[in-house]
Amino acid sequence: MNVRVGELGFLKELAGRFKIPAPDYVVEPVAQSVVREKLERWGAGIIKPDVLTGKRGKAGMVRTVTDYREAVRMLKQVAATEVSGQQPRTAYMVQSVPADLEVFSAITYHSGLLGPSLTLSLEGGVDIESVADSAKATIPVCVFRGLNAYEASEALSKLGLDGQLNANLARCLVSLWDLFISTGMLSCEINPWRVTRSGEVHACDFKATFDENNRKFRDLGIQWPEYPTNETPFEEEMKDWAASSYRGQAHVSDLGGKRILPILFGGGASTIIIETLSQLGGDPIFLSDFGGNPPYERMKQTAAICFKHYLGEATLLLILGGKANNTRIDVTFAAIADALQEWVDEHGPRDIPVVVGRGGPGLIQGLGQLKKTLDNLGMPYVFFGPDTPITMVAAYAAELASLPAEPQAEAAPSTDAAPQTDAAPQEVTS
Amino acid sequence: MIKAKSLSDLLKKGDRVAVSNITGREASAVSCVSQVYCNNVVAGWSLGKAGRTITVPSGDDIPVFGQFDQMMNDLPEDKKPNKIIVYSPPEAVYGDVKEVIEHGKGQVETMYVITENVSIEVTAKLRRLCDQEGFDIVGCNTLGVINVHDQVRVGAVGGDSPAESFLPGSACILSNSGNMVNTIASYLQSAGLGVSYGVATGKDPLILTPMKRLLGLAERDERTKLIVLYVEPGGTYEHEALEMARAEGFTKPLLVYVAGSFAEGKNVSLGHAGAVVEGNLTTATAKMALFDEYLGLPVFNPDHQKEFVAQLAQTRRGLRVNTLHDLVPAAATLLAAMEWERDMMPKSPLVLKPWLVNLGPLAGKLPNRLVPHVEAIIEPYGSLIKKYIHSGLGRTPSRQSMRNASHASSNDGVTPRVWGYSLLNQMKAHSFVKSVLLYWLGEPVRYEFEARLFEMSLIAALTNGPGTISAQGAKLCASAGNDPHVAMMTTLGTIGETHGGNGRLAAKLLIDVFSNTTLVDPYRRDQGIALDELAAAHVSTFKKHKAAAKEAGIDYAKVPCLGHPVFNKATVNHDPRERIISAYLEENDLYNIFLDFYHRLAKELYSQQATSKVHAVNVDAAITCVLMGIAWPRLVEKQMTVERALDLPFLAFALGRVAGGAGEYLDHRETGTEMDMRVPVAECRTLGRARD
Repeated sequence: MNVRVGELGFLKELAGRFKIPAPDYVVEPVAQSVVREKLERWGAGIIKPDVLTGKRGKAGMVRTVTDYREAVRMLKQVAATEVSGQQPRTAYMVQSVPADLEVFSAITYHSGLLGPSLTLSLEGGVDIESVADSAKATIPVCVFRGLNAYEASEALSKLGLDGQLNANLARCLVSLWDLFISTGMLSCEINPWRVTRSGEVHACDFKATFDENNRKFRDLGIQWPEYPTNETPFEEEMKDWAASSYRGQAHVSDLGGKRILPILFGGGASTIIIETLSQLGGDPIFLSDFGGNPPYERMKQTAAICFKHYLGEATLLLILGGKANNTRIDVTFAAIADALQEWVDEHGPRDIPVVVGRGGPGLIQGLGQLKKTLDNLGMPYVFFGPDTPITMVAAYAAELASLPAEPQAEAAPSTDAAPQTDAAPQEVTS
Repeated sequence: MIKAKSLSDLLKKGDRVAVSNITGREASAVSCVSQVYCNNVVAGWSLGKAGRTITVPSGDDIPVFGQFDQMMNDLPEDKKPNKIIVYSPPEAVYGDVKEVIEHGKGQVETMYVITENVSIEVTAKLRRLCDQEGFDIVGCNTLGVINVHDQVRVGAVGGDSPAESFLPGSACILSNSGNMVNTIASYLQSAGLGVSYGVATGKDPLILTPMKRLLGLAERDERTKLIVLYVEPGGTYEHEALEMARAEGFTKPLLVYVAGSFAEGKNVSLGHAGAVVEGNLTTATAKMALFDEYLGLPVFNPDHQKEFVAQLAQTRRGLRVNTLHDLVPAAATLLAAMEWERDMMPKSPLVLKPWLVNLGPLAGKLPNRLVPHVEAIIEPYGSLIKKYIHSGLGRTPSRQSMRNASHASSNDGVTPRVWGYSLLNQMKAHSFVKSVLLYWLGEPVRYEFEARLFEMSLIAALTNGPGTISAQGAKLCASAGNDPHVAMMTTLGTIGETHGGNGRLAAKLLIDVFSNTTLVDPYRRDQGIALDELAAAHVSTFKKHKAAAKEAGIDYAKVPCLGHPVFNKATVNHDPRERIISAYLEENDLYNIFLDFYHRLAKELYSQQATSKVHAVNVDAAITCVLMGIAWPRLVEKQMTVERALDLPFLAFALGRVAGGAGEYLDHRETGTEMDMRVPVAECRTLGRARD
């Protein structure tokens, strides 16, 4: 994941280093005497939650304060209140700076220009994309030469900003470019620059994303804070498990579906399978990508986590991937089979259909292992090989899963179960 | 901007390809496949690897140079590359591309950057450099390009068998995803469409040869009649491409699939910067709307093909599909609307081809279309399924939590039992070996001679002299002053698959060979099983594998349990311990088909000149044949798992040898001196140097 940084990170670590004028600030927890002293000097302060999500203002979590007692109370309250479902790390108070004008700016890579670009606008807010072209200016920036003050000044002039204000802001934009390119960012915004007619400029509110493939941001030597996430317990457990080893992938994202539990292999294949399931009413519970040739223990625990969270409520288990180049099917399928067996040992039988499609090394042995377990568990199944396209298997699974569920008692394995040709006596007789 | 004037300028027959970091695992493997497919890789370079070659099965080996400039200097004029594939690690991509620009100008036309995880800053710099210096660049994170009519490719398009997925035809595939180029090509075959070009654009945020450029080239390509697009979210590439298509009046119809709509609203949304610059044209839904507007038709519905034929005959701009396999009926619809012939007879239809089905009682509750039936399964899978899944040799155990539970033993507070048999009765009426076999097999032996043969096996395993690794283990324990149980554990710890455990491989061999026969009773001669033919077939397969492995320079799997380091001096060799077992069988008019087979196998290897002498059927083989004789009827009757049968020979060896190890320990402890197993320093060799 690309690391993101918000205003507080900017104020603490970046503004000073790149000489970008920014307001003074204090961070909760902070002594009442300090708050009092700051507010006496500033006149007013703005309290904000330290959270990496937009719409803080709309959520009512950005408050202007003048009284130090209220400020102390608000800092604690804002720090403890979720914004868009996310818990702030803390709250902070920045100096309220005067402004005759606000200028919104963003530097990012532009797919049309195939290089970096600077965008300036006089209108901000949530619906900034609907700002009329006449009110914003986008200029390409040479990735080698960078942004110079002349180019920045020209862009500002397009928005009708001239004089000392133009000169000061142009210098700040050059510093912003310096920050952007020196730290390996994907994008950064200052929304807005608060500017007075006399040309005094302050960078208020900041948001940026570093490019994880660019080692420059690691070379900064800054330990960026970890923000509380709104991951589901399933995503969180899988993320921790995925991080515990580099062998094999274990990526999942909850999709909020109710029917198909998908154990999928391969990045491209996973996307297309989930896409097909979603379009055809398969209602997949999550997106998964478990390729990368995981060893047995890794795959078994990965499957066990999936089963622990969702097997009880799923109406169909889908095990699907393309033709693997490296991932061993015998190893991964044996692991899934054993995880399934253990889940049933613990929670009792589950008779939902299992749809399987796969190709790759050790395929037949893998299918054999899985078949044995499914026969023993009395779970209905259909297996496909690599000669059936994955999207057709997904379409079949989607249709099977969308049938109205039978009452559990009727669907449970019974004595009239299909002959289990390979199933042997449960115990060796003596 | 792009210099290529046609798709063939990106890649055509006669282009000479060089590969950066060619000695890397993926680069060398992909280059080998390319070389066999189209023989267009002239060289590669890799720092510090000058002078090596990449060996290619077809014989067209690829020379490796240390640096790009050295490669350009040393290659003859007709071998100098005009296409470069960059497989360098992400940190090296910028440097390598600069080197190509510096030393390849005037020669190199196009670079394909396969590398993933290149930073966006470097990607932007590559675009700028290539624009300035007049190079075309595809990527980063592209899978490559294939020109099917010319049968040439760069990169890994088509995987290990490009000729399978790509047949020449009239559809040009432009895809953000590399794998989807292959998948779509396979799908199109079912519609009777072949491929002119397949281009994987790469799926990084910046696509350096964007859609509008490629669409322009495809519009001008004579072999291309229609264009298939696989589109992912991100970027405004499609918006720009369609604007251009409108402005320039493109004529070739599109078949479009836009992926990624399911993820919308579920990921973190773009911030203001993205929103300002990219606007709302970058989501999957927005891209779908863009195409629908351009195509002038709603998304394709395969249930209404006729209506779409009629409408498409008017609009002639193409169709967008909702699921990828709808490309097949959509392609048929398009051909009908445009009144075009198919490129070829459609390959096998795109239908569900189930391999294993057991829907149980659920089948009765499903509509017929959801109960697929297994028909002929493509080879080699059909035979493999028959052999490994439907053969039914061995028991399939049911699994459950075994904590505090056992099938094998019990104790009701009065009588300890083994598989239900009173231990006390075993003590009174049976031998140790019979009781052990009861424990291991789950039922008593069926014939007295089996117990005797097992006993002989245990005796044979006791020792092979003090020099064996396991005896050394026991002696080391005595020398170190350990207790006897430690010596026994050490004896067990010093046997393994190579020493003593080869029987498992022999058991596997026997199961592999005899599972295809009608063998039921291994102690009967007249069962119509042609042992010589089985041995000949096995030797013939072995020789093939050996030859292939030798050619590839890798180890090959030897025939297990044949030969012995001591008993190997004669033309026809015997292990005296095996001889005793054979003699017992003969004296008692008994027969073991596995031992018979093993002897024939040793002779057959010699007669087919796979070995220079008749190797001894060694004691491990003899033990294995004894145990497999006991196990086989139980496997056929599905009373024993294959896994257990494979374990039995090694268990027998270990049981015998651990007793032998105890004997070795007792002798050494009583008569040896302390630390006498220690190797004096003077006799130890140092294979390094002092480092501090």
